[in-house]
Amino acid sequence: MAAHSRTRSAAYRRSATVALVLALLTVIEFFAALYFNSIVILMLMALFKAVLVLNYFMHVSRLWTPDEEGHEA
Amino acid sequence: MSAVAATIDQYRRQLRINRMGLWLFFISEAFLFGGLLVVRFYLWGNTRPELDQVIGLIVTSVLLASSFSMNLAETGMEYNDRKTFSRGLIMTFIFGLIFLIGVVIFEWGLIPSLYEGHLKPSSGVYGAVVFAMTGMHALHVITGLIFIAIVWNLGRKGHYSSERHWGVESCAIYWHYVDLVWIFFYPALYLIGHVAH
Repeated sequence: MAAHSRTRSAAYRRSATVALVLALLTVIEFFAALYFNSIVILMLMALFKAVLVLNYFMHVSRLWTPDEEGHEA
Repeated sequence: MSAVAATIDQYRRQLRINRMGLWLFFISEAFLFGGLLVVRFYLWGNTRPELDQVIGLIVTSVLLASSFSMNLAETGMEYNDRKTFSRGLIMTFIFGLIFLIGVVIFEWGLIPSLYEGHLKPSSGVYGAVVFAMTGMHALHVITGLIFIAIVWNLGRKGHYSSERHWGVESCAIYWHYVDLVWIFFYPALYLIGHVAH
């Protein structure tokens, strides 16, 4: 029960950390546009944010490791 | 093989097929949104219309927050934490609605007495592209909101468990996809290029 609670807390913490990084990147993106206005920099930042969302929020890896977590499946 | 093991095995296979189907749908959608991005860069080049930066940043932050609350809801269901699941979905719905209102009322200027929008669909290539991109995205947000409402209602009735919640997972992945699209649309619409006068 305690282990279950710990893993649950760890999952919530990871979720918050990813969201925080995404928020930080969005702010950096905004100021990068103001000072550099480079398509390459902005698209690279967007790509990095997309990878974070794909990996941590959309669980793309479950496609090739389907029973890793989540469902009993 | 016992009947229980056979059922679990069948569910595993079905889950794999469901996931693959959903991702194939996303790939097909990527062509649609990718096409819109190509149109933006082809027609605008290194310019952009004068859009309200504050609104852009606010709606982007709100959508980001909605992704976080959706992830909390999904994780909540995975760990049988129904309170977090329910609250997470409600928060996601509210954030999604705020995003939609931000785009439709403020960016589009649908209620001019409240806020005069910067562009109209007929305002040349700038208006056409802004409305096509935000319109197509808003359509997906509306679909996501309906999806969230259905999943929340089914969850309330005890339709899902920590072991079996494909409905919750698919809803969450769909919502994150909507966020993923905006991650590229936001810089393309608001940040890249010099303001055209």
